[in-house]
Amino acid sequence: MFLKLALKSLLNRRGSVILTLMAMTVSIFVLLAVEHIRYQAKDSFANTVSGVDLIVGARTGSLNLLLYSIFHIGSPTNNIAWESFEDIASSPQVSWAIPIALGDSHKGYRVMGTTLDYFKFFNYGSRRTLNFDKGHAFNHVFDVVIGSDVARKLGYSLDEKLVLSHGIASTSFSLHDDHPFTIVGILKPTGTPVDQTLLVSLEGIEAIHIDWQHGTKVPGKKITTDQIEQLDLKPKSITAFMLGLKSRMATFDVQRNINNYMKEPLLAILPGVALSELWQMMKVLENTLRLISVLILTAALLGLSAMLLASIRERNHEVQLLRAIGASPIFLFMLIELEALLITLLSASLGMLMLYVCLVTIEDFLASDFGLYIKSNFLSENVFYLLLIIIISTVVAAAIPSLNMYKSAKMLQ
Amino acid sequence: MTISFHDVYFAYPDTPNKPVLNIPSWTVASREQVFVHGPSGCGKSTLLNLLSGILAPTQGELSVLGKRLDKMNYRQCDRFRANHIGYVFQQFNLIPYLNAVENVHLATHFSEHGKTSVKQEIEKLLAKLNISPDDWHKQSNKLSTGQQQRVAIARALINKPELLIADEPTSSLDQHNRDNFMSVLMSLITENNITLVFVSHDMSLSHYFKRIDALSEINSLERGR
Repeated sequence: MFLKLALKSLLNRRGSVILTLMAMTVSIFVLLAVEHIRYQAKDSFANTVSGVDLIVGARTGSLNLLLYSIFHIGSPTNNIAWESFEDIASSPQVSWAIPIALGDSHKGYRVMGTTLDYFKFFNYGSRRTLNFDKGHAFNHVFDVVIGSDVARKLGYSLDEKLVLSHGIASTSFSLHDDHPFTIVGILKPTGTPVDQTLLVSLEGIEAIHIDWQHGTKVPGKKITTDQIEQLDLKPKSITAFMLGLKSRMATFDVQRNINNYMKEPLLAILPGVALSELWQMMKVLENTLRLISVLILTAALLGLSAMLLASIRERNHEVQLLRAIGASPIFLFMLIELEALLITLLSASLGMLMLYVCLVTIEDFLASDFGLYIKSNFLSENVFYLLLIIIISTVVAAAIPSLNMYKSAKMLQ
Repeated sequence: MTISFHDVYFAYPDTPNKPVLNIPSWTVASREQVFVHGPSGCGKSTLLNLLSGILAPTQGELSVLGKRLDKMNYRQCDRFRANHIGYVFQQFNLIPYLNAVENVHLATHFSEHGKTSVKQEIEKLLAKLNISPDDWHKQSNKLSTGQQQRVAIARALINKPELLIADEPTSSLDQHNRDNFMSVLMSLITENNITLVFVSHDMSLSHYFKRIDALSEINSLERGR
């Protein structure tokens, strides 16, 4: 009966209740969205690379190197010589080394040239290696392995042929159409930028550029696929490389040696350190977003409180009547609190539904454009505590109109 | 004795020097039906609020149904009112967004009245008060004023109170509805052995009652005005 009374009373004042409900819904949506994306972005970044001790590239900012080599965000500043890679990779402290060559794409998805070691040594998440959903790693020059998102979005299956394009724009006109690649493997989903990547051998990257100069095709110079396979396709340069060391103790030694490398300017970074630099930068933004979402919620709660307070004046007769049939002032206090809680609970449900729908819709966009893997399932312990805080804040904010109701019940005249 | 006032004095807490009521002695016997008349502004609502325990007397002894209301705390008063006293107002007797049945049902929520078979009792009572079943589930602000006042009787009587307080219940009704209302009310009161305190300034209703008191006689502050 108590619940029915509160519900019907709210329904009776539909107009103002719906507006308040909308304000609360939006504010809860914003709060949960900021919290979830903040949390997931960190998680997603931290999960992208694991077990890599050092990342080495041309001298640039450490964040920049991390972003373009691992997250495929932004463009590499410069290439490094293949000899430098071979030199460092063969040093005694190094256990394994994975070269990376970037710069080409396929329908907006980046192409990465690497070696078979990539499949063997690259880890993501909590030390998980890459697994094949179908097929196997590349064996030939014109073999390509594709990430799970690439396969799903473009509807590719094994043995299909595709053409890479020069540069990383999704509408590139300079296609490497003279040398199509064959899909030999499709990776399982990882929730990292690998899903959005096409992997080819370094020789493949070298081969498609063999009759190119300065970023364009040289007209009239045609080499057949068969001819290419006879050539020495040793790469001249790569974009970056990842190192795994035999002992983690040696990390700083190796890093210093690379940074002081004499033959060309190189930069070695520890992925963990670079990530924490990223968090430091994001922290201000994060806190600002958080503050704004809390302020929005406060405004909505004050609106809720004002709406209820305004309703009390017109409910004088109701108070009198309820008192006459034996309702205590506490009952009337609780009635207003319950009305506030009902609005908040409904808003929270709507806000969460809205967030879920939004996450499902923008999931792919965030993954492909920002390398952010945000799960659409946002239910976590964190969200639970947030909802609890929202409910407590509602009770506190609704105490103002509820006390008013209590007072008017106590002194009827 | 159902009601007994003895040297009851009342002033609102915010104006302690301006007493509203001073009743040296006023009693109503069990099953008596009393018509109290007086112009508005002479402490009528205050008297009824004291009687129902919504207000507590500043001084004096006030007992209703053998219980000392002046000795009870707020909670006990609320409980006592829910269990033993029915109340019909001039208007706004029903929660506008609930239907007739829900309004009557709400009254049982606060009392210790047996909760079984409440539904049948409500329907029986509404039928007795000439509310047609078609109107039982209509939102109460869609009912006519006459119907609303009759549903109010049902709401006041559902907990089988020993005392019914009616505060100008007919003033919003036309002649036809007034007679209708009064005859149903009086027959139900008699049938259920309920004590009735009926306040009105409409002397034309006094012929329904054997005992007629003037508020100005009860309240010594109003005497000689």
